[in-house]
Amino acid sequence: MKTIKKRVEDELAAGNIHSNRECPYHPSHFKGQNCTFCYCPFYPCEDERNGHYIRNTKIGDIWSCENCLFIHRDRTVEYALPRILEKGIAPGDHEGMMEVFRESMDACWKKGKAVMVVGATSDAGKSMTVAALGRLLLRRGYLCAPFKSQNMSLNSRVTSKGHEIAMVQMLQAQAMGLTIPDFHMNPILLKPKGNTVSQVVVEGEPYGDYDVPSYYNEFVPGPGKDIVKRNVDWLKDRYDFVLMEGAGSPAEINIYDRDIANMRAAELADADCILVVNVEWGGSFAYAIGTVELLPPEDRKRIKGIILNNVRGDPAKMRAGADELERRCGIPVIGIVPHADVQLPQEDSESFRDVKTRGNGSKRIAVIKLPRIANFTDLDPLYTEDTTVVFADCPEDVTTADAIVIPGTKNTVDDYLWMEENGVADAIKSMKGKVPILGICGGYQMMGRELRDPKGIEGRVAGTTKALGLFDNISYWDKYDKRVIRDRAEIIDGGGEVEGYEIHMGLSEVVEKPLFQITNHGRTGEVEGSVREDEMLYGTYIHGVLDKPAFRKKFLSLVKSRGESPVTVGVEDYNDFVDQNLDRLADVFESGIDMKAFMRIMGVEE
Amino acid sequence: MKSLLFLGTSSGAGKTTLDAAFCRYLARKGVRVAPFKASNLSLNSYVTLNGEEIGMGQAFQAWASGLEPTGDMNPVLLKPSGPGRMQVVLRGKPYMDIDRDSVMDRKAVMEKACESYDKLMEEYDAVICEGSGSPVELNLMDTDMANVGLMRARNVNAVLVGDIERGGVFAAIYGTWLLIPDELKPLMKGFIINRFRGDASILGKGIEKVEKITGMKCYGIVPYEILKFPEEDSLSDTGGAIGDGDIHKEFVENLDRLIDSAEKAGVDIAGLEALLNE
Repeated sequence: MKTIKKRVEDELAAGNIHSNRECPYHPSHFKGQNCTFCYCPFYPCEDERNGHYIRNTKIGDIWSCENCLFIHRDRTVEYALPRILEKGIAPGDHEGMMEVFRESMDACWKKGKAVMVVGATSDAGKSMTVAALGRLLLRRGYLCAPFKSQNMSLNSRVTSKGHEIAMVQMLQAQAMGLTIPDFHMNPILLKPKGNTVSQVVVEGEPYGDYDVPSYYNEFVPGPGKDIVKRNVDWLKDRYDFVLMEGAGSPAEINIYDRDIANMRAAELADADCILVVNVEWGGSFAYAIGTVELLPPEDRKRIKGIILNNVRGDPAKMRAGADELERRCGIPVIGIVPHADVQLPQEDSESFRDVKTRGNGSKRIAVIKLPRIANFTDLDPLYTEDTTVVFADCPEDVTTADAIVIPGTKNTVDDYLWMEENGVADAIKSMKGKVPILGICGGYQMMGRELRDPKGIEGRVAGTTKALGLFDNISYWDKYDKRVIRDRAEIIDGGGEVEGYEIHMGLSEVVEKPLFQITNHGRTGEVEGSVREDEMLYGTYIHGVLDKPAFRKKFLSLVKSRGESPVTVGVEDYNDFVDQNLDRLADVFESGIDMKAFMRIMGVEE
Repeated sequence: MKSLLFLGTSSGAGKTTLDAAFCRYLARKGVRVAPFKASNLSLNSYVTLNGEEIGMGQAFQAWASGLEPTGDMNPVLLKPSGPGRMQVVLRGKPYMDIDRDSVMDRKAVMEKACESYDKLMEEYDAVICEGSGSPVELNLMDTDMANVGLMRARNVNAVLVGDIERGGVFAAIYGTWLLIPDELKPLMKGFIINRFRGDASILGKGIEKVEKITGMKCYGIVPYEILKFPEEDSLSDTGGAIGDGDIHKEFVENLDRLIDSAEKAGVDIAGLEALLNE
């Protein structure tokens, strides 16, 4: 407490204002944050809109305001600092400070407004619309948070607090300039395990396994609604806007009253809605008016605008139809957005369901198309290179490849059995030593000697499965537990840094030479992964291992396309690449959207 | 009526395949059936024995009907040849190139298309027609030929195919019906939900509501099947494989599989057939 007071004193005396870009932690919350009060003069303000008490710790109750953004907003600083100085309040004078705090809250704090993007179908472009609108609001100086009440996806990421949320909400947070996304942004994550059962992750932690009827009949009417409400409210207290995303179509009238991902969430957040329709497949006018007209009147009136998305060809040609649609359903078409040619991580495995290959580069990389493939955004950096990625589901795809990647899966045992039955497993073994092979997470487990699942936690059947045997490691599932952690590491044999995250049920007894040295604070001495350099075998639990150039470069440098010159490797940091693409996406949306009309929906008259 | 039109809520909804399956079903029962699509926008064309160019979809439907494809089955074929440019193939022969400056005489072309339809109606017991894209593209409806164009010109009954895979199928079916011009709504006899995976009983409430508010009948829910058919559309990139036998025969055998699975799922194919006698 003493040091905090001293720091506040120093800060006030120095009169520093705005961002301190030299600080190694900058921007610790969001791009362009105001660091004038690196330490808060109002601590502890005890206002629950900014923080909360952690009760009964070893040193008593602690006021935690680590997620407070209020003190880092320009308008707060510009209001509070002159008042503190004018009144001559000394840093120790908490009563005096609290008076300024209350005035500042009254003058500068406003509950955020939630607006929800719903889609006429899956793949309507909801996620990308939220990301683009978020980036456009960021450029106008607003602070937004993404929110999706319930996301069904096997592409999850780990927050800095070790919570698991959907990848796409992390991406949207990045678009909105946020640097430390948290579980509030996707409080319910459904991870399909088999055909009918999903693991339900609540507020970042595994909650339980549910099948479809038990999810809708027990979870949703039980804890579901409250989870949605408290998380979206939390965000509204801290951000100017919460840009919510619906799931699938909001007009699935057969499950309407049990759908907490769409209009029920909008109601809980008191959000107006924007309907996005993908024009590419045709029928967009029908999808739009049908969606609007099937909603009950009290929900219908929340829909304030329609965006016709993904228009290839001349958007002007859609205008007459859009005018007619406006006339028929009484809702303005606020945007006709051209197809955006950007490369961003994809949400659904649907998006490559029917796709056999991606890219047209000289090196053929076979990525095993596991039935429950998970965290396949791991592969995205490969598409930026001189590669053709082949989604391999038969032995020929594997034996004709120049490199093999075995990706992650929600079910290592069942997917290994799939690989064994269709001959892909034997094909991989036959390529050992001939081409580089990389296994990530579940794929890494498969590269070992055995998969031991004595209680049937992972697979359909309890027991031990003999795996690829490329490594001598053994993976085992002895309890229903999940390792969720963020990693920073160095390649042991030199060559630089990797950064990513682990999400796995099951652990491995590793007897191979490790691939990485963990460099996270407090974990010195930990190693990760396996490598046999002479046989070009690499395995790791770290998702995102290819994002930074170091390991990607190392792996791809081993790839020799048959009879052709070796690979030329880009050295871009994938994160910067994503950010540039988010900017391009936002530009495309800005070109097609009536920004005035959009800002009016956000409650801002420009 | 002798004819029935398969409309789709979007491209790729499954019109071509369900149309072909219905042709195959009728042909197996000994009905002399022919396929027809007034106008087709596609670069995948097939050449008939007489050297006429038609859409691949109609060639496939002809094989399903046990017929050799002819130019009348797809009298208008539009082949995009560059930005804003299209070649019009009329009854199998290049007719003109259209671009910003030269516009097609739609009325004359539609008359030719209708002549082909009439000819097939005379020669066959049944003509199974296919629409194009969505029938209610508000910016294109005035110039439509294959959907509301044909319904207007020849009073053809229609069933609407909705693809449930992408979600929003009830909205798509209801919205399409809403935007069909009122005077043509009586021809909208029913709908089919295509590509369903899972337990169909969960759809019941939604289907009942759409039946009630539109007056259309649900003819059934067709299960998702991974079957290989000719690629008509640049949109589909299935990459799926078929056996190494005669490709036409393989396609038709896949249709038999689809009919079996539709029958098992309770699709009212006899009801669709009854529409031909209305």
